[in-house]
Amino acid sequence: MSERDGSDTETESSGRERAANVVQDLFVVATRELRTIVRTPALLALAAAFAVSVVGVAWAGTGGGGGFVPLTLDLLTFVEVLVPLLAVAFGYRSILGDRQTGELDVLRTFDVERLSYVGGVYLGRALALVALVVGTLLVVGLFVPFLTADIPTFLAINAAADSGVRYVRFVFLSAAFTLVVLAATVGISAATRTIRTAFALAAALALALVLGIDTALVAGLASGVIPEDGLAVLLALSPNSAFRGLVLSSAVGVVGGADVAAGNSVLNALGLLVWWIGSLSIALWRVWPRVESIEE
Amino acid sequence: MNEDAPATALRAQAIDQSFGDVDVLSGVSLSVARGEVAAVVGPNGSGKSTLLHILAGIAAPDGGSVAVPREAAGARSVGYLPQRPAFRDGFSARDTLGFYAQLLDGVDDDDVTATLDRVGLGDVADRSVGSLSGGMTRLLGLGEAVLGDPSVLLLDEPGSGLDPAMVERLFSVVGDLAADGTSVVVASHELPAVEAHADTVHVLDEGNFAASGSPAELLTETDTDSLSEAFLRIVRAQVGDSTVRAGVGSRRSAAETDDDDLEVEADE
Repeated sequence: MSERDGSDTETESSGRERAANVVQDLFVVATRELRTIVRTPALLALAAAFAVSVVGVAWAGTGGGGGFVPLTLDLLTFVEVLVPLLAVAFGYRSILGDRQTGELDVLRTFDVERLSYVGGVYLGRALALVALVVGTLLVVGLFVPFLTADIPTFLAINAAADSGVRYVRFVFLSAAFTLVVLAATVGISAATRTIRTAFALAAALALALVLGIDTALVAGLASGVIPEDGLAVLLALSPNSAFRGLVLSSAVGVVGGADVAAGNSVLNALGLLVWWIGSLSIALWRVWPRVESIEE
Repeated sequence: MNEDAPATALRAQAIDQSFGDVDVLSGVSLSVARGEVAAVVGPNGSGKSTLLHILAGIAAPDGGSVAVPREAAGARSVGYLPQRPAFRDGFSARDTLGFYAQLLDGVDDDDVTATLDRVGLGDVADRSVGSLSGGMTRLLGLGEAVLGDPSVLLLDEPGSGLDPAMVERLFSVVGDLAADGTSVVVASHELPAVEAHADTVHVLDEGNFAASGSPAELLTETDTDSLSEAFLRIVRAQVGDSTVRAGVGSRRSAAETDDDDLEVEADE
């Protein structure tokens, strides 16, 4: 083997070892996040409140007894409002907390890579939050066969107007929406230096998602500032609008015999992806500055 | 500790650091030998914590370089105790160190137990970190810093807020670590403890080391009886004066002061 081949093999092997360390550290950090969540009474109380509220809406509304699509429509706004609030609670102190205790500095002396730390924090918090959202929505989905008068004896797998498959799509899209909004709050947590700033930014984000962006779009359309043909793109820019559009087009589909006009599905999916990647990139960039290794 | 380890464990050269228009460090150089306890003392705001951040590789200096020879024996190169260590609530002291241990190759639960015993927290290992006293929290921070046998230990005011017995205990742990070959840089205001335990004392003032040497050398050079008196002479202050520094200013020359007999030099 030539000297160069030997050097390439060595570099490859050290690259593989580094990648393995990054993944291993990521899971160590993620495990700590999960353990932190189950030991934080406030987060457990919020999770319980969310679950009870969703069950209450499904039980009391027309959805649980009316079929999967009515249930989706009942829960859609509810998920749009509550998931950003939950994401703020789960995410806004996730990285800032370690910065404030000084543990972020200490972690860096353990040669933890930014990807391991941010990825671990996000993965741990995301697992907990997605499990909560998906678990709760799936449980209330089970109400439908029991409460609907015309009880289905099987889950439809075709494009029937009402089917469990459509509801599963809604649950899947809710999980994706949860991941995107959580990424945004983790990004805020990494980029800010004080609790007050982080909370203010996270609350402003939640408010903008739930109310602000849609209100601005409606006002823009009404005043003619926003042209109608550009609406699909603008709807995709807001995670809430993009999520709503995807749910209406793929999990609801037809209302009153007419197809739902809910923007462009590809643009909506792309919008969510850009928010997700952008937020996590900000978190990676801002979590700590790049410092040259002092080891020689 | 590795017997074949290099004699110099830490080398910092010409470190410059500014925050906005305030110069905090200006051309600071420091070399710490294996097994040496080097103390950095200085007035509040003189840049001790900033220097330790840079030495730990946490902050990049505006200028200069830091080098720590790769240590074959330890699982990491540098251990760091921040000025106010704090840990996540809801975890025990053992859980906390266990988390850090998982980030190091070859460090397991037995090492965590041994580290807790080493810093004197063996009896409270399973107590929640939220219920630890300030002194115990600092000792847990020391435990986190020494985990994985780093070749260089950086301690930022480890004795701050501790009673004299705890300060003595902490410095005796530091002395034991140095005896085992660990190099220690400690920023501290506990001058009696520094005088008793440090091999070298660097007085950081107005951006650079105003004096460096063993405690005995500093006493001789300043013609004083204690490191506290020597410190006051070097930073040109009287007992009761405010010594708070807000960056590098124009340093008064010895000729301009009443202490004409003071002739201490920076080590650069």
